Amino acid sequence: MRKLIHIEQIKLLNYNPFRITIGIYFVAFALGLLIYPAVDKEIPVISLSDLFRFPDVWMFLTWVTEPYNVMLALIVIMITTKEFSDHTFKTQVVFGLSRTELLLQKMLSIGVLALFATLLLGLTSLTLGLIYSYKLTFKIAMENTWILGRYLIASFTYMSFGLLVALLVKNTALSLLTFLALRVFVDPVLFLLLRKYEIKWYLPMRTTTRLTPVPDLIEIFQRRVNSEEPIDESAIELLPKGLPAWLNVLMVLLFTSISIYFSYRLLQRRKFT
Amino acid sequence: MEDILTIKDLSKSYKNVRAIQHLDLEICEGQAYGILGPNGSGKTTTLSIITGIIRQDSGTFEWFGKHPRPDQRRSIGSLIETPHFYPYLNLVRNLKIICDIKGIPYDDIDRVLETSKLSERKRSRFSTLSLGMKQRLGIAAALLGDPKVLVLDEPTNGLDPEGIAEVREIVIEQVQKGKTLILASHILSEVERICSHVAILKKGELLASGPVRELLAEEEIIEVACNNNQLLEEKLAGSELVKEIETENGKLVLTLNEKVMPADINAFAFSNKLVIHHMLSRKKSLESQFLELVR
Repeated sequence: MRKLIHIEQIKLLNYNPFRITIGIYFVAFALGLLIYPAVDKEIPVISLSDLFRFPDVWMFLTWVTEPYNVMLALIVIMITTKEFSDHTFKTQVVFGLSRTELLLQKMLSIGVLALFATLLLGLTSLTLGLIYSYKLTFKIAMENTWILGRYLIASFTYMSFGLLVALLVKNTALSLLTFLALRVFVDPVLFLLLRKYEIKWYLPMRTTTRLTPVPDLIEIFQRRVNSEEPIDESAIELLPKGLPAWLNVLMVLLFTSISIYFSYRLLQRRKFT
Repeated sequence: MEDILTIKDLSKSYKNVRAIQHLDLEICEGQAYGILGPNGSGKTTTLSIITGIIRQDSGTFEWFGKHPRPDQRRSIGSLIETPHFYPYLNLVRNLKIICDIKGIPYDDIDRVLETSKLSERKRSRFSTLSLGMKQRLGIAAALLGDPKVLVLDEPTNGLDPEGIAEVREIVIEQVQKGKTLILASHILSEVERICSHVAILKKGELLASGPVRELLAEEEIIEVACNNNQLLEEKLAGSELVKEIETENGKLVLTLNEKVMPADINAFAFSNKLVIHHMLSRKKSLESQFLELVR
């Protein structure tokens, strides 16, 4: 295991496109979060800074940064298809890596990237929470941190999908386009086509996205104004319900397993030229 | 001698093309085994199967008398076709990856770079190397960990004469050290010079195999010249002494039938009142043997 991590470390940390993309991810992450306090100054009635307070900051930032997982998936596609174009999968097999180890190697990279993304999110949420919160107790601060676990799964799943697409298509540009098409075009279109049916909530990309759901903004603002009035039911209806949380997590884990299984099968069958 | 590689009834097809058919081969410790064959004969397919790059359709092979496992490949140094490394990494980092795969310390890197005369370029990126240097790096990677077996597929492919000489020198040195070599090559003189054994393939079929000396000694060839070459050729063509007669630089090159000795040719010429003034026993080159088999 250590050997595989070290091999990936040599490959990735010396690969400029990887370093640049991770840098862009980091900058985009930071800039994305800086926008909200800036926007807040333009909105006099509703304070967006409420969303940066504990415990809501965990839910809000997880939701806001969810699209960045797509970028991580694109990185996985890039580093995997590069192995095909450089014929280095072949070299590694010739020198003694098994095909299962090739997959494990990529899964370890995915795991490390997912942990990195979750850690970045956790640290950012913690920092913003400490800056913006009035009342600060350990219990309040740690409430909702479970969402980080879901973010980790979502991040891992996106990258697993990315890996599968890369192993299937092999070509970098085509793989990136295929993945983006699935995320931006195929999933929304299928969701619209299936809008009358419950199955729409079982689409792989949809279930993954919904691991980090839209925070209950109405409840947050109501808490802010200390309203005694019950929440307007029709307003709640605006938020899509979807699958129960446990089922959603289960479905995502199932899709991740399927994706890893197919990646394994593809690697076993691939002829490395 | 320990069995290094045993191939039994190995077959592989690509769609409708039979790349190798029922191939049997046995390679023992210390042998330098050349695999010869024209393009498309199945040399690379055979080596790709035994190094785990592709899978056979049927048949089996064993490394060191055991069923193939990925970890066995760690004790085999291989170079299959053009070497492929990470173009953006320097030579040392590329070799560190191979060391990690093989589970050997990095100390060996300097030794193999020295052997392959690449020490001065060890901090250069792989993409900046010439073809000859890339090929030498491939050999350096194969030599990491001082493996008992080397599998080299066309190691001098695409190299200039100087590069060919350098690579050949490295390979010969390894053979002299007693390593088992499996070498696929187009260059017959190279195989003849380096290898102790040879297998000749055509369209995936094994045409001949065995020690190079035995393969070449199967037929006796002599070069003769007499006072009337034309008459001698006519007379010999009608006899049962020779299998084949060719003319080369004003001399007759005779492939003798089994059990026929050069002295029999001399006696035959004498009985036909012809005087042989030049007779040279000539070994058949691997090239002529190869061409004869594959035609």
